Amino acid sequence: MIWLSWRQFRTQAIVAGAALVAVAIALLATGPHLAAMFDNSGLATCRTGCATDANNFINQVRGTNADLIFFGGIILLYLVPALIGLFWGAPMVAREFEAGTFRLAWNQSVTRSRWVAVKLGLISLAALATTGLLSLMISLWSGPLYQAAQKAGQNTFNNKIGPPLFGATGIAPVGYAAFAFALGVTAGVLIRRTIPAMAVTLVIFAAVQILMPILIQPHLIPPVQATAPFNANQANEIMITSPGNTITVVGNYSHPGAWILSNKTITPSGRVFTGPAARACTSSSAAPQQCSNWLNSLHLRQLISYQPASRFWPLQWLELGIYLVLAVGLGWLSVWQVRRRRA
Amino acid sequence: MIWLAWRQFRAQSIAAAAVLALLAIVLAATGPHLASLYNGAGLSDCHANCIALAGNFVAQFEGSYIGSLYYLGVVLMYLTPALIGIFWGAPLISRELETGTFRLAWNQSVTRTRWTLTKLGLIGLASVATAGLLSLAISWWASPIDAAFQFGGQYTPVSFIRMSPPIFDARGVVPLGYAAFAFALGVTAGVVLRRTLPAMAVTLVLFAAVQILVPVFIRPNIIPPDQIIAPLIAPSAGLTIRGSQGTTGGVLTVQGDFSKPGAWILSDQSITPAGHVFAVPATQACLGNKGQACMNWIARQHLRQLVTYQPASRFWPLQWIETAFYFALAAVLCALCTWQIRRRNP
Repeated sequence: MIWLSWRQFRTQAIVAGAALVAVAIALLATGPHLAAMFDNSGLATCRTGCATDANNFINQVRGTNADLIFFGGIILLYLVPALIGLFWGAPMVAREFEAGTFRLAWNQSVTRSRWVAVKLGLISLAALATTGLLSLMISLWSGPLYQAAQKAGQNTFNNKIGPPLFGATGIAPVGYAAFAFALGVTAGVLIRRTIPAMAVTLVIFAAVQILMPILIQPHLIPPVQATAPFNANQANEIMITSPGNTITVVGNYSHPGAWILSNKTITPSGRVFTGPAARACTSSSAAPQQCSNWLNSLHLRQLISYQPASRFWPLQWLELGIYLVLAVGLGWLSVWQVRRRRA
Repeated sequence: MIWLAWRQFRAQSIAAAAVLALLAIVLAATGPHLASLYNGAGLSDCHANCIALAGNFVAQFEGSYIGSLYYLGVVLMYLTPALIGIFWGAPLISRELETGTFRLAWNQSVTRTRWTLTKLGLIGLASVATAGLLSLAISWWASPIDAAFQFGGQYTPVSFIRMSPPIFDARGVVPLGYAAFAFALGVTAGVVLRRTLPAMAVTLVLFAAVQILVPVFIRPNIIPPDQIIAPLIAPSAGLTIRGSQGTTGGVLTVQGDFSKPGAWILSDQSITPAGHVFAVPATQACLGNKGQACMNWIARQHLRQLVTYQPASRFWPLQWIETAFYFALAAVLCALCTWQIRRRNP
């Protein structure tokens, strides 16, 4: 049975192996240069002024090939699980149904459930290994960039704890691959036709990948809430809309590497501050400082909810766990479906 | 024959129409708000200070759902032609060959050639129409953002001007050409390989390779790029000194400021009076954090700045040339697979 699985999977395995080798060559050719730049920038040993060093390093990288490879790596880590679901998962059982070969396959000495279970197990192992290797290589390669981003503070290469980078580093992609593969197999078993199963796999997987970071990821661990007095002199943004005189203000914050989920300014009574704006802020003759003084006299507070950078690995493990559980559930569903179906 | 082609294509066209309708609703619901942000920022009739105003506008939507929609639109414009090639193109004929239904299909009153041409024509037309509607909707929605980036200046990690690769391919008429090419590529792969899944995989790989190679190697040289040579005055603002600022030294390069808003800069180099590209081991003056000494040292090198670029005004000429190129490729591929089907013994 293992031999049969391997024999039917040989082409796909060779293609995946070749792709991995190609990526490895590209990363090996450029990685040492990036690491050398990082060492030269003095970031590895800095104690004071790290933010300046980090920004210098990021400016050096920006606009070079390393920049393109970084973004290419992110795209690749999102694409590969989807491709595994489409090209390895969906056709696995659907093609046997479609071509009628399931009649032969299921009338051998191996039972149907064992046939599905062995195929599921072996190919999902291949899927896990492929994505795991890819993620490891790309994460190692981008290590200097992530370290620099964490030291530089806001607005640089993003923070790897939030989307879209969270799903393209560490162990999360491995979970995506397992889930996409099981989803493809299940779609194939239920729909029994290859191409519709591929299309359905793609749509559901894309929907899960978009909804997960928006609805579920922020709340996997309850976010940290922090309040601080609002200081208008250091506000990020003051926006006044003229009809109705509403004013919204957004305060400054400093949580290096954190994923900021919301940043609201509230009044002493606990409501979100929306104005109305005083004359000091609307009249064109008043100096900007008068508006700031008026805002400071209101005793506003700033309410920030965020996931601190230290939760990167707990969140990664949780994400991996959720997707693996989903994958196991789907795998069980497809074994059960194949078992009870009349051929 | 038209009825048969429609009947076999019904499910795919309904799926495409549903996706387009969903997208149209989302874009119509958010587009007016984006346009009003643009007008509210004072960009529609600005004369001076446009770059700062554009920066304010970009800061307003960056990080909000509008920013996400903008990126999603770009991704969608890249994905759609690939999906058309994979799901509409590749199975079109390979499925008939794989399941043996070609024997029935080719032994009707309609000749093989007409059968192929009708299918290619109708579904090719549907592919082009889908990509065209999508490009129209997304280009309309994103026009305030594209216009803001057009003022120049650096607001985002990658400056997304519409002339340069990630955006050029996702706007205007080029997506129509991509859709036609991807579809024809898929059909041809199916006819040559005669098996659906390998044809789908090959289509994806070839199409992705073309999508990467054309912007890198072909597009910059379709129209010979413009060049500017100017003396590089060191203490000017916007001078980028690349190279190691640490203690161990390394290669030092200098990049001058260049202001042609919206232009696609292909290369920006400093050259020595002897005409070589300036890249020297970092001197003592530029090591560590001595800004002014380094500037003075650079000024003494009498460098000139050599910039190669495609100006913003070439956006539409390049779009039309590239679209025509892809349509020509698609036509060649269609001819190839019609000829293959004609001469093949079933």
